[in-house]
Amino acid sequence: MAEPITLTIDDRQVTVPAGTLLVDAAAAVQIEIPIFCSHPKLDPVGCCRMCMVEVETPRGPRLMTACTTPVAQGMVVHTNTESVRSVQEANLAFILANHPLDCPICDKGGECPLQDQTLRFGPGVSHLVEPKRLAKKHYLISETIVLDQERCILCWRCIRYLEEWEDKPQLGLFQRGNDTVIDTFPGQPVDAKTSGNIIDICPVGALTSRVARFDFRPWQVTRTPSICVHCSVGCNLRLDSRTHTLRRIVGRENMAVNDQWICDKGRFAYAWVNSPERLRYPLLRRDGRLVPVQWREALEYVAERLHTLREEHGPDAIGFIGSAKLSNEAAYTLQRFARQMIGTNNVDHRDGGDVAAWPVGIPALAHLMKPQYGPDPQVDTVFLLGVDPSEELPILDLHLKRSVRRAGMRLVLAHPRRIELTRYRGPYLGYRPGTEVALLNGLVKAVLESDAELPGEARERAEELAQWVAPVDDALLQELCGVDPDTVREAGHLLARSRQALIVYGPLAARGPQGPAVRQALVNLAAVTGHFERLAYVGLEANSQGVRDVGLLPHRLPGHLPLDQTDGVRRLEELWGAAIPTAPGLTYSQMLAAAGDTLKALYIVGADPASERPAWAENLEKLDLLVVHELVETATVERAHVVFPALGWAEHDGTFTNLEGRVQRAPKAVTNPHTRAAPDWMILDHLASHMDVDWPYADVRAITGEIAQVVPSYRGLTWDALGDQGVQGDVDAARPRPKLAPATQPPLDPEPGHPLVLVTGTVLYDGGNLVGRTPQMRAVAFPTGAGLHPEDAATLDVAPGDRVRVVSPHGSLELPVHVDDRVRPGTVWIPEGLADAPVGALLDGIYPVPVRVEPGKSGE
Amino acid sequence: MANRPSAPSDPPEPWITPEMRAEIDAWIRLYPEGRQRSAILPALYIIQRHYGYCPPQAQAELAEILDLTPAEVGEVVTFYTMLHQEPPGEYHIQVCTNVPCMVRGASRCVERLKERLGVEEGQTTPDGRFTLDHAECLGSCATAPMAMVTERSTGRIRYFEELDSPEDVDRFLDLLAAGRGFTHLERWTPDGDPDHTGRPAGPYRNGGMEPRFLLARVNLPDSHRLARYEADGGYATARRVLQEMTPAQVVDQVKASGIRGRGGAGFPTGVKWGFIPKDVYPRYLVVNADEGEPGTFKDRILMEYDPHQLIEGIIISAYAIQAEQAFIYIRGEYYFAYERLVQAVQEAREKGYLGQGLFGTDVDLEIVVHRGAGSYECGEETALLSSLEGYRGQPRLKPPFPAVEGLYGKPTIVNNVESIANVTHVMRHGVDWYRQFGTEQSPGMRIFCLSGNVKRPGVYELPHGVPLRELIESYGGGLQQEGTAIKAVVPGGLSMKLLTPDQLDTPLDFESVQAAGSLLGSAGVIVVDDRHSMVEVARRTIHFYRHESCGKCTPCREGTAWLAKILDRIAAGQGRTQDLELMAWIAANVTGKSFCPFGDAAVWGLQSNLAKYRDEFIRWIQETNPAAEGPGIPIRPIYRPDVHQGSGLQEVQFEPRGEPILLHDQVIDLLEE
Repeated sequence: MAEPITLTIDDRQVTVPAGTLLVDAAAAVQIEIPIFCSHPKLDPVGCCRMCMVEVETPRGPRLMTACTTPVAQGMVVHTNTESVRSVQEANLAFILANHPLDCPICDKGGECPLQDQTLRFGPGVSHLVEPKRLAKKHYLISETIVLDQERCILCWRCIRYLEEWEDKPQLGLFQRGNDTVIDTFPGQPVDAKTSGNIIDICPVGALTSRVARFDFRPWQVTRTPSICVHCSVGCNLRLDSRTHTLRRIVGRENMAVNDQWICDKGRFAYAWVNSPERLRYPLLRRDGRLVPVQWREALEYVAERLHTLREEHGPDAIGFIGSAKLSNEAAYTLQRFARQMIGTNNVDHRDGGDVAAWPVGIPALAHLMKPQYGPDPQVDTVFLLGVDPSEELPILDLHLKRSVRRAGMRLVLAHPRRIELTRYRGPYLGYRPGTEVALLNGLVKAVLESDAELPGEARERAEELAQWVAPVDDALLQELCGVDPDTVREAGHLLARSRQALIVYGPLAARGPQGPAVRQALVNLAAVTGHFERLAYVGLEANSQGVRDVGLLPHRLPGHLPLDQTDGVRRLEELWGAAIPTAPGLTYSQMLAAAGDTLKALYIVGADPASERPAWAENLEKLDLLVVHELVETATVERAHVVFPALGWAEHDGTFTNLEGRVQRAPKAVTNPHTRAAPDWMILDHLASHMDVDWPYADVRAITGEIAQVVPSYRGLTWDALGDQGVQGDVDAARPRPKLAPATQPPLDPEPGHPLVLVTGTVLYDGGNLVGRTPQMRAVAFPTGAGLHPEDAATLDVAPGDRVRVVSPHGSLELPVHVDDRVRPGTVWIPEGLADAPVGALLDGIYPVPVRVEPGKSGE
Repeated sequence: MANRPSAPSDPPEPWITPEMRAEIDAWIRLYPEGRQRSAILPALYIIQRHYGYCPPQAQAELAEILDLTPAEVGEVVTFYTMLHQEPPGEYHIQVCTNVPCMVRGASRCVERLKERLGVEEGQTTPDGRFTLDHAECLGSCATAPMAMVTERSTGRIRYFEELDSPEDVDRFLDLLAAGRGFTHLERWTPDGDPDHTGRPAGPYRNGGMEPRFLLARVNLPDSHRLARYEADGGYATARRVLQEMTPAQVVDQVKASGIRGRGGAGFPTGVKWGFIPKDVYPRYLVVNADEGEPGTFKDRILMEYDPHQLIEGIIISAYAIQAEQAFIYIRGEYYFAYERLVQAVQEAREKGYLGQGLFGTDVDLEIVVHRGAGSYECGEETALLSSLEGYRGQPRLKPPFPAVEGLYGKPTIVNNVESIANVTHVMRHGVDWYRQFGTEQSPGMRIFCLSGNVKRPGVYELPHGVPLRELIESYGGGLQQEGTAIKAVVPGGLSMKLLTPDQLDTPLDFESVQAAGSLLGSAGVIVVDDRHSMVEVARRTIHFYRHESCGKCTPCREGTAWLAKILDRIAAGQGRTQDLELMAWIAANVTGKSFCPFGDAAVWGLQSNLAKYRDEFIRWIQETNPAAEGPGIPIRPIYRPDVHQGSGLQEVQFEPRGEPILLHDQVIDLLEE
């Protein structure tokens, strides 16, 4: 470490680390140096010349740019001399010479660095009598970003963000000299998934949000620090609200999570919050129609029906489905309700009990991050199995890209689709779906056969391990998995050699019956490569980690407590004052399959299984009782007997746990007086009291407190302690010990007549129920369709846009064809959640899903 | 890029044909592995040769080839003036109207062309044959006025020079119209027209001391061929140096010789070489042949008529700094010089003087001749490197200096053509020989470029320290026209401050010119006689910099444009005397505040002009705008009162007005009574 540097700025001594720029050193002692192009998260460029300060040199005082000059020992700097002030005044006169000064109608007005600095450092008078330069005004450079070239002062921040962080230089400088403008290439709008961040960092009103444009005045909004609930990264953001509506979302700094960046979905897709279509009253089905009723009536009805059905059919005839979008408090209350009030373990959520998850996530996001001047990431290699951060976790994608480019991090990618991150160096394993176990065993074998030194237990049991993976030879890798054996070896060696590799898998790789074998193979791989503490499962929803932690699972109680762990169960029973059922419940897909059959009642909170699979929609109609908590009308709501209107994350307090186990607050930011909707936990609490049990929850924070009591890794957390940056739970406490065991690749039964394999997965702009309510985002929604590799398209003789019928043994789906060379040959790619294309129609819980493609109906 | 399914359409015919692609690939191979972006300008020239401009579709395809986004290609296309976004006519005629051409009648030339072609500037004739434009300095100041013509279908460029009369203009235009304008690429002059006189124009006027060294060979027949160069003793020095000396010895000799950079800043060449960090390889030598400073045209003659002199200098210099790859970055307009360099490099390679194992040693060297595409800023060394790497020609932060982190982030020496040529002579004749010329601080001889209103403009090789008057009178033959007087002299290229007639005895070396209040710069001496308005000189000067400003930093980008608008208004008869103060204020806040030295260069001329010829500006304003009418400043009150100044409210003394009726004492008295 270099010695700290001491220098003098405006007669004040400052001591800062070596390498600090003058502008930051001055800021450390509250001396403001005006800046436009300089930004703490971007490389210095020194083009705006606003930050000139006087530095004493042996040859007299010299003007230097504070944003590009690093501190030096004994340096003497003046920021407020006559010459500095006159340069600042002149430079602002230059900047304003071609700025339209249309502040009254500018969204940036009131929080505009150009305004602020003109006020503070400007000349106070203009000598300009010449006509101003004209350029293109307020036009779209993406579906959501508006550019006004006349307001632009050419600080290059937006260009640098897209280059340095996104690695997608889609904005550029065009023309030169005084005619220079920022623009996109004709016909190539900005489509980087985090492009909205350039609005936040624009120091003038050149870049504005199309979604929030003219919806707010900065001085009028109430600013609530919150988090994003679109994915499991849990980016920190700020909700700006006024008169009961959400007006704008901007990024908020959290150096442990998202730096200060958020993705476009998180920034722009919030119109649903203010939607007039939000459910406002409890609805009760009468004469086949859902009609608004008072809360008391609905609650009494549900309490009575649950009681009766339980008496008639037993507790296990009732099921509870939550969602990984729920807050910890809602999920905890829901599972407590199922277990205590009904006495069943039939409680789950999508990708809950159906996925062989590892109980802990990424040890720390910060270990993957490469901040501007901060340390290099600790993790040097990242292995991603069945995860596509670019589509599923955009800010993780941003961190990975930056670490790869700036800190030499290596990626090992295993995904049945050639995902966007494959553009970076590193082995890519494009395996055939369903062959994950063989692939992972192949990696284990590659490690065992390399000269890498095996750690601990793996060394002792090396021979045993070698026997387990012996069947995976080059021919198997090539023929079964469809991957190049040399690439497998390269990947295995890389993981074994890495100092700290992170091994991450997602639900795509571990759903269904073969999930446990995949998880076991991953444990083996992590153990032989010495990265066991960094094996992570990453769910995709905002609270995928949290709902598991608080027990929204059919086979685990809060704190991942097994149902047969009697000590723990007894303590929980004491706390709840009720007996806890011991038999494992049905999983999400099992409940939906049994609905209307052995399962008589379903209580669904924030989930919409009816839109997922046509078969499930039918089953829901056969139920004796379907109760739904929802925000807006959905296919499931349409089939409900009782609907409780719920509040969204912006409207009530809740905590969420992100993919690194960081518990973060999402406080109430908007109050809508026009609705009777209530928080999920409160609905359940009232329902419990209608069933004659009084829960001790005065408010949501009491539930947070109870969670901290029963989930070991959350011990000691309180609402207040979480602050606005969240607190990471004790993840190590939740990590099981590695158990080596053989992992067997299940046989792939080729289904006659179904030569292709289905690949699902998530895309960011999936046209889902919430995103779809932001009209500006509709154009970027992933178009409904089935992706085929060009070779397969040629074999099948289908052209892009042709309608085809994709048929699996369980159902079929008709949709147009996309030809896309990122789709693996021999597979059909249909993402989940596309409008009018429930890929669930092809599924029934078996993985992989064999399909065939037939010509669709003509005349479409 | 978009992570979305491709649009439903069959693959269309590529805009970049397989033939073009092969040519582009060949260029890519010339640059180091992974640096394919450097081939962007050559590739765009290939596209433009095919389509006459750079169609967006071809740009997008090129982006794919070079692993860029289309926006990155678009940024480059729109930066360089020689790359077109619209197709021009078959013959694109660009007349230089910069100061050296202006004072010799460029506007008459433009008028004649307008008349003949029936179009205005920026327009194309209806038959699509001719496009007329004006251009900024084309490096042909000694043969002004002149025009550069680009043949769209081949991408070739030829200079048509000494267009002094309408008849001369007619003759070159007729030649083009007849399709015979490009039978040769060597410059065309009315006297040197192969079709009329049977001989090409040859090098323009040159002379100087006897014997000459740098310019010794330019008038010889076939001076550009390797055989002739060797017959004159060429390459013997390089051979001896590589075989007998160590690189460190060469660096020491060059240091001892005191060669100062000929590009403008005059930085000692050997000292620059010494900045290269030890043990960091590869290293690059980049020859700055982007000669763009108005009034400077010396490198052009060296490259056109003695390219092997330069190549030998490169071999020695690259050996000294241990670079195995050299680049010559030549301005795009110098097409003939480019062709000659390419031919010379080819000859040298065939002879084994380039490539592997030079002169039987284990020294390797490759030279790539890289054409710019119309940007003065690329003469600044970091901007040049940006351009060579395939970016917009915008300067980079220093430090790190190129010698430490230059081309592709590697140690790089950037030297001017004339500086490198000097190296050969120092190594051939020795340090003592070199230092006998010039002065202690400015050793050696210099190629002075003399242009403007003198009888014999041209390049003159003379020792440093020759008096300005001697250059103008003895070599330039005095003023162009009898009865005129010198009004102003630019001593070192248009960027430098003006000298007045009383400063004609200034010796032309770095120190003396600096003492006279200007700089020797690139030794481009422009003489302006008293027929010309200094307002117009100022306006033309600032328009050059407005046009060439890269736009990166605020003061230069906004300052030059603001000044240009003011000077246009003054020239149009809307001037106000307070504009002089305003311009001085703007200029003062550009110089020393900009990102690179361009900002200084842009306003020094204007600053000295305003200071020394202020009366002429005032006279002009009063004559053209006697009522002092002009745009007024809209009501913009000063809104930011200085809070540190007292309000004055407390200081007011409320003195009773007039004589008081009763004084206090009197009241007391009255009461007591």
